[in-house]
Amino acid sequence: MTQGSELVIRVADLKKHYGDVRAVDGVTFEVARGEVFGMLGPNGAGKTTTIEVLEGLRPPDSGTVEVLGLDVLRHPQSIKQRIGVQLQSVSLYPRLTVTELLDLFGSFFNHHVPTKQLIDAVDLGERAHAWAMNLSGGQQQRLSIALALVNDPELVFLDEPTTGLDPQARRSLWDLIRGLQDKGTSVMLTTHYMEEATELCNRVAIMDHGHILEMGAVSDLIGRRFRERAVFFDSNPKLPMELLARLGGVSRAAQEEGQTVLYSNDVPGTVGALLATADEVSVEPRNLGIRQATLEDVFLDLTGRALRD
Amino acid sequence: MGTLLGLTVANVKSLARDRAALFWTIFFPIMFVFLFGWIFGGSGGSKISVGFVDQDGTQASGGLRQALAGVTLLSLHDGTLDAEKAAMQHGDVSAVIVVPKGLQDAFVQARTGNAASIAVQVYGDPSQNQTTQVVQGAVAQVANGFNLAALGGSAILTVSQLTLQSTSISSVAYLVPSILAMALMQLGIFAAIPLVQQREKGILKRIGATPLARWKLVGSNVLLRLMVAIVDAVLIIGIGFAVFNVHIVGNLLEVGAIVLLGSASFLAIGFALASFLKTEEQAQGVVQVVQLPMMFLSGIFFSFDFLPGFLQTVARFLPLTYLGDALRQVMVNGAQVAPLGADLAILAGWLVVCLGISARSFRWE
Repeated sequence: MTQGSELVIRVADLKKHYGDVRAVDGVTFEVARGEVFGMLGPNGAGKTTTIEVLEGLRPPDSGTVEVLGLDVLRHPQSIKQRIGVQLQSVSLYPRLTVTELLDLFGSFFNHHVPTKQLIDAVDLGERAHAWAMNLSGGQQQRLSIALALVNDPELVFLDEPTTGLDPQARRSLWDLIRGLQDKGTSVMLTTHYMEEATELCNRVAIMDHGHILEMGAVSDLIGRRFRERAVFFDSNPKLPMELLARLGGVSRAAQEEGQTVLYSNDVPGTVGALLATADEVSVEPRNLGIRQATLEDVFLDLTGRALRD
Repeated sequence: MGTLLGLTVANVKSLARDRAALFWTIFFPIMFVFLFGWIFGGSGGSKISVGFVDQDGTQASGGLRQALAGVTLLSLHDGTLDAEKAAMQHGDVSAVIVVPKGLQDAFVQARTGNAASIAVQVYGDPSQNQTTQVVQGAVAQVANGFNLAALGGSAILTVSQLTLQSTSISSVAYLVPSILAMALMQLGIFAAIPLVQQREKGILKRIGATPLARWKLVGSNVLLRLMVAIVDAVLIIGIGFAVFNVHIVGNLLEVGAIVLLGSASFLAIGFALASFLKTEEQAQGVVQVVQLPMMFLSGIFFSFDFLPGFLQTVARFLPLTYLGDALRQVMVNGAQVAPLGADLAILAGWLVVCLGISARSFRWE
């Protein structure tokens, strides 16, 4: 295959065990140039181990791992010159300033972006001369991303870039990551926020217990599993489940978190039938709504577990 | 080379901006120099204050006073017998020398061939035997000189003074090299703490994800510590000289070389410790467990010979014993525990062994 120019990551049957723990147990995936690829999963799923093998921080036990067309075991130095790395929750030299840290890290590479330009890119201009230890959580995370961009990398690895940030800081980081994609940088990120993956990623892989369970574009993953949409409502008293399950278009009825949820292939038909039935027994459905299935539902369906911190 | 320099500058800045680290690496040893200097140095250097009571008041007693004043160990304090005794009871003088009336008469009698004798009295405190003996010795020496001169003879047996510092007396001169050795030991062993900290925080791993060669990361740490070692040495030797009058008899380049070798050995020990420690809290504890007993058992603050036998055996295994010994031999010509070459060989041995351990066991994450 002549995939070298198109693929930035090629992983085939990667395994990495720690003693009896199969952290990564036969993972295969590819990432194309310019793509934002997300790896989703709960803590301990094997996401970080996978990404650290790709970054050259850990040797794989077996399998093929190529980054930018180069084997990670044979060409770690050449790869490190061309990738950007942001690790989970790293606090850097606490008493160096933002400018000093960017200058220092820049000096580790053959080519590097001017520090001023990086500081502007992550919007840390006002904190350029503040010590790293005095930055807020969001600012530290932006600094950490600026450090990942110091060599103008072709491929950036972001390991849970928004964990622990407030919603506003998270959104500002999302803008930053979209900006990277706009200028053609490939991105591989891990997250356990479904919303983040939906917002940012062209494709995602859902990982659990060292395996990739499902992979593809977010809309495909949802569509593949959930053709129906969900009609949800509250009522008092509750309507009998067996009655609801017989309504037109309903494939399944369930109680979820205090709400009654009807999974339907024919939303107008189901809603019409629901209102008619409710009227017959003089019960008024409240907070009636319709939603598409989400990645959260896909994960729940795949693993039987909710995906939370 | 540029990156090594850049990293070293980053380390220097980090240290300079960290007050706690600065205190331990630079101010703590200096504090020791002052503390021990004041305790063992006394206010007037190493002189003994002695009361001098001249009851004769003649040319002869004046000559005796002049001779005693020429003894560098003594600092004379004139007064009446009652005043000087009171001063001694207060602790203002350590002894009182009394020249009784009739001194000159006795000499005159002796020259004319008559038998004559007169006693110069020395009051001493039996609880300060050493001091009293020094004063009595000095008086006896001066008195002998007078006797010989009076009889017109010349001395057959004389004592010529040679300098040789002895470790049996606690002195600032003994302590300055010791404090320097302590500072270098702590500087090296304490290096384990930031290393473990940087590993725990993922800084080592993050840098491992860049093309930076690892030896440069280690090298910059070593350079920083060696620079601080030189600063410590200059400050400690400088203060010892300027404030406490401790002269370095040896070659400063030799001192510098021993400082660097000693620092490198203890740095290697710090690195080896960091190889086995996981958390910063662990590191803080273990570093103290290693350095505190070493400080007290290696004879840097008191003579090696004062240690009981089994502790001497322990001390013979501690690298600090040999760094202190080497520095003392070169800096102030102190008595030796081992020949200088053996000291240096043992330090080099620790360096090689601990570097080997670090190379095998050090983990970056």
